[in-house]
Amino acid sequence: MPLLLVLHWKHGAGSPLPFTPVNATCATRHPCHSNVMSQIRNQLAQLNGSANALFILYYTAQGEPFPNNLDKLCAPNVTDFPPFHANGTEKARLVELYRIIAYLGAALSNITQDQKLLNPNALSLHSKLSVTADVMRGLLSNVHCRLCNKYHVAHVDVAYGPDTSDKDVFQKKKLGCQLLGKYKQVIGIVTQAF
Amino acid sequence: MDVFLPWRQPSWRVGRRRMRLPADFRWLLAAFVLLYVLNEANGQKKGSPRDLTCTTNNLQVWDCTWKAPVGTGHGTIYKVCIEDRLRSCHQIEKANIKIPALSPGDHEITINSLHDFESSLSTFILNEKNVSLIPDTPEILNLSADFSTSTLHLEWTDKGSGLPHHSHVVWEIKVMRKDSMELVELVTYNTTLNGRDVVHRWSWASDMPLECAAHHVSIRCYIDSPHFSGPKEWSNWSPVKSISWTPDSQTKVFPQDNVILVGSDITFCCLSQEKVLVAQIGSKNCPLIHLDGENVAIKIHNISVSEDSGTNVIFTTEESIYGTVIFAGYPPDVPQKLNCETHDLEKIVCSWNPGRPTALVGPRSTNYILFESFSGKYVTFKNAEVPTNESYLVSFEMIPNQEIYNFTLNAHNPLGQSESTIVVNITEKVFPHPPTSFRVKDINSKAVTLFWRLSGNFAKINLLCQIKINKANSKQELRNVTIKGLKNSSYRVAVDKLNPYTVYTFRIRCSSETYWKWSKWSSEKQHLTTEAIPSKGPDTWREWSSDGKNLIIYWKPLSINEANGKILSYNVSCSSDEETQSLSEIPDPQHKAEIRLDKNDYIISVVAKNSVGSSPPSKIASMEIPNDGLRVEQVVGMGRRILLSWHPDPNMTCDYVIKWCNSSRSEPCLMDWKKVPFNSTEAIIESDQFRPGIRYRFFLYGCRNQGYQLLRSIVGYIEELAPIVAPNFTVEDTSADSILVKWEDIPVEELRGFLRGYLFYFEKGERDTSKVRGLESGRSDIKVKNITDISQKTLRIADLQGKTSYHLVLRAYTDGGLGPEKSMFVVTKENSVGLIIAILIPVAVAVIIGVVTSILCYRKREWETVLLRHWK
Repeated sequence: MPLLLVLHWKHGAGSPLPFTPVNATCATRHPCHSNVMSQIRNQLAQLNGSANALFILYYTAQGEPFPNNLDKLCAPNVTDFPPFHANGTEKARLVELYRIIAYLGAALSNITQDQKLLNPNALSLHSKLSVTADVMRGLLSNVHCRLCNKYHVAHVDVAYGPDTSDKDVFQKKKLGCQLLGKYKQVIGIVTQAF
Repeated sequence: MDVFLPWRQPSWRVGRRRMRLPADFRWLLAAFVLLYVLNEANGQKKGSPRDLTCTTNNLQVWDCTWKAPVGTGHGTIYKVCIEDRLRSCHQIEKANIKIPALSPGDHEITINSLHDFESSLSTFILNEKNVSLIPDTPEILNLSADFSTSTLHLEWTDKGSGLPHHSHVVWEIKVMRKDSMELVELVTYNTTLNGRDVVHRWSWASDMPLECAAHHVSIRCYIDSPHFSGPKEWSNWSPVKSISWTPDSQTKVFPQDNVILVGSDITFCCLSQEKVLVAQIGSKNCPLIHLDGENVAIKIHNISVSEDSGTNVIFTTEESIYGTVIFAGYPPDVPQKLNCETHDLEKIVCSWNPGRPTALVGPRSTNYILFESFSGKYVTFKNAEVPTNESYLVSFEMIPNQEIYNFTLNAHNPLGQSESTIVVNITEKVFPHPPTSFRVKDINSKAVTLFWRLSGNFAKINLLCQIKINKANSKQELRNVTIKGLKNSSYRVAVDKLNPYTVYTFRIRCSSETYWKWSKWSSEKQHLTTEAIPSKGPDTWREWSSDGKNLIIYWKPLSINEANGKILSYNVSCSSDEETQSLSEIPDPQHKAEIRLDKNDYIISVVAKNSVGSSPPSKIASMEIPNDGLRVEQVVGMGRRILLSWHPDPNMTCDYVIKWCNSSRSEPCLMDWKKVPFNSTEAIIESDQFRPGIRYRFFLYGCRNQGYQLLRSIVGYIEELAPIVAPNFTVEDTSADSILVKWEDIPVEELRGFLRGYLFYFEKGERDTSKVRGLESGRSDIKVKNITDISQKTLRIADLQGKTSYHLVLRAYTDGGLGPEKSMFVVTKENSVGLIIAILIPVAVAVIIGVVTSILCYRKREWETVLLRHWK
């Protein structure tokens, strides 16, 4: 988790400010593409299109009785999951999207790592997790670009889920399932909002 | 004297049991009264000490007690005297005395009690056999728990310093569970005293995780001293020691993430504040075992092998599901097919098959350590994340100057370990890398040098290399060569006995001279050897032109093996005794030359040339040796072949030649020829040009002194077919009862086989009838004539009806079948006699009628005349 912080949010990690002041310096490595919002929508649509398949693949790989107890084992009860308000301004929605994707990206990284140890033969699941993480990285970059260029927001304070590294295997399976269930639920709402 | 013997007490107990039986009650009561009377009669007085009992806990001191006289109490003084070697007396105020252990045998003990100036004396006989050995109550020093392995560890001391040496001690340990202290284990533990205080340790693995419930332990002991003759009894149980897990607020399921052997029994428990409704392993429900509070457990027997992600065990409450994961698998199998070899004599690669899958993956998978005992070095191998049945490989750096390696491969996972060993002489286990940088260089037209590179330090061994040589339309050839090994160097070897101007494909692979395994083949290298002069002259034939003035010389292109290069041109010359005439160079691919010659005998010579030189000449005489009286024979082939055979002729000294041509072609007629050795008596002629139904002419020539003589002339077919035309026929003559038919020959091209005869059909019929019936066989009204004499060209059909139309049909046939039909209609002539009769009879009848009429008329007139005359 600290590694993720350093990699992705070395400038803004832990900052208490939700937004950069308007006059703060906001620079991106590359200029945003003119159709960045369109790209964001496409990426959201891509994630939304694959979220259910990923969820099914995940809980199937965890073995019985996960597929038959989704309501209790995979209920989308995720603590501290960033909120999203579909009726907010574009800037507010982008900031919330940024937080959600950052949260999900970190969680997905943990899930991927856990599953590689627990289910080394579930190559299809690994692949799907990896593709999802890749799309999220791109989406995060685009959202950051949009926030920076249009709204001059350079840093967004982000939060992460609980650290699962010291959890037992069942807890890891369950938390992963809950997270992916939440992801499936949230990404649909977010996609519709954009 | 009052003597109380404690070992007599069982008799009393027996007596009391008998009193309970109504039938014996009267007898028992009488016996009791009798004993009492006897006791009184022996002078035992009320108020003397009685019931002396002695015990020991260490065999050195006896602890004796007695009952005080009736009516005495505080303030009684006892004088106890022991009849020993040294009579000793002790004055004490309690009814208890500790005395040193007495020697074996009976000892008299007198106890005189003094109370209120009254005294009473009791005498007892005391023997070691009457003293009970009851050890002190043991005490547990420590009880600890290893929750990860569900094991209790117990420590206690035997206090052996105060007990005799070599005494055997039996410890009884009881383990209890839950608050209700249900006994779950009762075991004995044997030790031997050695004169010192020894701390003993005992561990117990619980079948239920220790977190599930409180566990309690207590011990007691029994000293079995061989030198002590008195009764031995168990000590009291020690105070109970307890272990319990302090749960946090969260519901927990135990054990967590355990690895277990397939087929084991295991207990899971759930520490819960709320009621557990259901427990499941995988999708299977399990009966609940209730523990303290809301805590529950389930017991799984003979657990099945887990999936990669483990077996889930869940406990469902009203609100949530709690669970754990168990990994049921196997310990590592003995590594199989352990094999160590080297590709380069720098590193040793050991491979093995893991054997039976452990069903444990990821961090629980098998790890391997390859240990070499002579050098003491080792390498580790972390099992691949994905278990497969394929071999595992590990690389070990070779030790300089060490050839013999003793490897031990140790496999271990959380469930156990196994190992395999192998001793190898690594110089005999060389499996080189595939040769690289492979190339070919010419030496001459029949030899090349092969170059290649082989990585590895082979300086101390010889290499055995195998060269694979391929050429088109030829069997693959393998050649072995032995070469001195080098260190990371290039190698070369000459390859001879090749054919000139031939495309070869070379590959090479190597092994050590002692041979263990061939390397993989190098990449393929194609090479064209250089040209050499053609090895022989072309196969030559000659024909005279149709006008007989020119000699046409034919030759066949040389085969690749004979040409030894690309044939550029041919030189044709003819020589006689007087002169030699050369034609200009004839470029390939022309294989024919025409030369004007007179009828003298010439020797024609043909030479093929390539870039290196000329072939030996092929010679043939221009004139044929005459042979008269040849007759033409017939032959039919089989399939696309014609078999010709002949009798051996000792005069023939050079090859026979069979030439053939299409019989319909004009002279000079030559399709191809074939030479067969002079000692042959048959030849099979086959050609892609042969077609069924085509007549070919074959000529067999014998050869002597380069001159050819025609021996046989043959016509034949590869396969006969039916004629494609019907013979043309005409009606030469017709009479009232016969028809003479004449037909023509069918041309050879249309006959398509040897003519075997004609079929002639005839029937009555007219051209204009609406339906001309076919000539089906079996029809009775059709007459057929089979003409097998093929020289016959006419046929007279007799016994026909005059002035009748006939349908005539003619067909030719060969062995290939019937040809098409040709038909015509012919009307026979009228019969003249009948005609005449037909004319004459009416005429005669008319004349007769006329004559008769005339006569009658004349007679009538005569009669009338007479009558008139008469009347008149």
